[in-house]
Amino acid sequence: MICEFCKKNKVNVNIIKIVNGKTEKINICIDCLKSFTLLPADEFFNDLNNVLKKFLEVDIKISDKGEIDKILGTIDSSESKTCRFCLCDLNTIRSTGQAGCPQCYTEFRNSFIQIIKTIHGSCLHKGKIPLKTGSKEKIQKEINDLEHRLLEEVTVENFEEAAKLRDTIKKLRKKLTAGKKTN
Amino acid sequence: MIENSLFKIKENKKVIQEKDGLNKVILTTRSRIARNLGGYRFNTFNTNEEKKRILDTVKDSFLKSAGSKNYSFYNISRLSKLQRLFLLERHILSHEMLNRLCGKGLFIKFFSPDPDDYISILINEEDHLRIQSTRAGLNIAKTYEDIVKVEKMLEKNLSFSYEKEFGYLTSSPTNIGTALKVSVIAHLPALVLSGKIEDFIKRLIKIKLNIRGLFGEGSDVVGNLFQIANQVSTGKYEKDILDEMNAICYNIIEEEKKAARELKENMPLIVQDSISRAYGMLKYAKMFSFGESLELLSMIELGVETKMLDNIRFFDFYQLISLFGESNIIIGENFKAEPDIDEIDAIRAGIIRKRILKKPAYKE
Ligand SMILES: [Zn+2]
Ligand SMILES: [Zn+2]
Repeated sequence: MICEFCKKNKVNVNIIKIVNGKTEKINICIDCLKSFTLLPADEFFNDLNNVLKKFLEVDIKISDKGEIDKILGTIDSSESKTCRFCLCDLNTIRSTGQAGCPQCYTEFRNSFIQIIKTIHGSCLHKGKIPLKTGSKEKIQKEINDLEHRLLEEVTVENFEEAAKLRDTIKKLRKKLTAGKKTN
Repeated sequence: MIENSLFKIKENKKVIQEKDGLNKVILTTRSRIARNLGGYRFNTFNTNEEKKRILDTVKDSFLKSAGSKNYSFYNISRLSKLQRLFLLERHILSHEMLNRLCGKGLFIKFFSPDPDDYISILINEEDHLRIQSTRAGLNIAKTYEDIVKVEKMLEKNLSFSYEKEFGYLTSSPTNIGTALKVSVIAHLPALVLSGKIEDFIKRLIKIKLNIRGLFGEGSDVVGNLFQIANQVSTGKYEKDILDEMNAICYNIIEEEKKAARELKENMPLIVQDSISRAYGMLKYAKMFSFGESLELLSMIELGVETKMLDNIRFFDFYQLISLFGESNIIIGENFKAEPDIDEIDAIRAGIIRKRILKKPAYKE
């Protein structure tokens, strides 16, 4: 097989790239591979593996960005609003694929919900919460987690365990409303 | 001054036993969480001044906790070329991270006796903080435990950006929520050589995994090594992310072992040839580049797995990769002058021969 790039040398390297879920094969000779000016030649030139790594990293970056661009492309950025805290607008967020500051997520809430849902399938955080969270929020989180477990127990028809969980949730709810009154 | 004591991988003296053979497919596990400090812009948009303040804040807070004394701190911009190479070869730094060095810092703790196991806190990469744990083999639960411990140490004096609905806020929405990513390096020579890999990868992508890695068909330049990680970081409990990744890894191991069994039953001549050539090269050749070594060792592993080769000592592929990394060779040999590539390649060939051949062709 002949190299796709110089159309001259014999192929020494076959690379399979995975871009956006599609596999693509590249047939290339070592000379051409080395001539890609992707890396400081003095440092890594002689190490084929690093050359390859760099080669691939660039591809991955492009592909990752392409995917996010696609998602970001669907959001309406004609709105000229900027984040009150970092002054980023949706256009900037769209072109970099990065939020400007933590508050951006609140400022552009609807757009971010859409983006996060596309990437992750859901945007409701279920995981751990910060250590310093207020006690009210901690209780609320515990209730959410128990409700989740309750649902699981009910689906496997483990009603005894489910009943226990239901009672605990009830107690926690009471604690929550009692807290509200005294505060 | 290079602190050679830290930047040197010592060979693991404990006898490596072929336990359940799991390590032969999943070579290493890495988990990480991203965290950001409140009150600052994310790193794509903040100034060098802000980055320095973030670095100082994190550094001060971390050093206050008792557990921090086993960690070493490095200012990335002040590392020597060799130290950077060392960290690159170990995936602690990325090439990207070497672009804008201002304010970048690293806390790291190596676990002995496993020289490839370590915890690190990277400051001012894409996110303000990345807490990462890497351990040999399939070790998902343990790496997550490591991370949580470090997070607790940091959380005593720092508050991280968090929002009730979105969870932990990250610079890129791809990391949001738990901000947890688990990635493994899988060695899949049988799946590659039997041509099943493309379908296999498609299936993994369908269940929202990110696959990175490349392989040379026939020439196998990069040793049939794949990096596999979860894409979804929110809408799930951490435990579910970990459990799912674990289940997926068992599946990967099973598929690879199955492909290896099938190859063993009916080994195409071309595969036999590749394995024999790799063996011949390892026995008689005098110089190996890094990439070439990965390729050859991958074939040797397959030869052992399919019982085609029996005169090979048991070796830990991943540990061997660390030992023959360029930085490790340079640091280990204490060269008087800058060594040339041929010298390094010759030493690498010696390292590999010594560890895998039962009957060496040369006296070392
Ligand atoms: Zn060419
Ligand atoms: Zn903002």
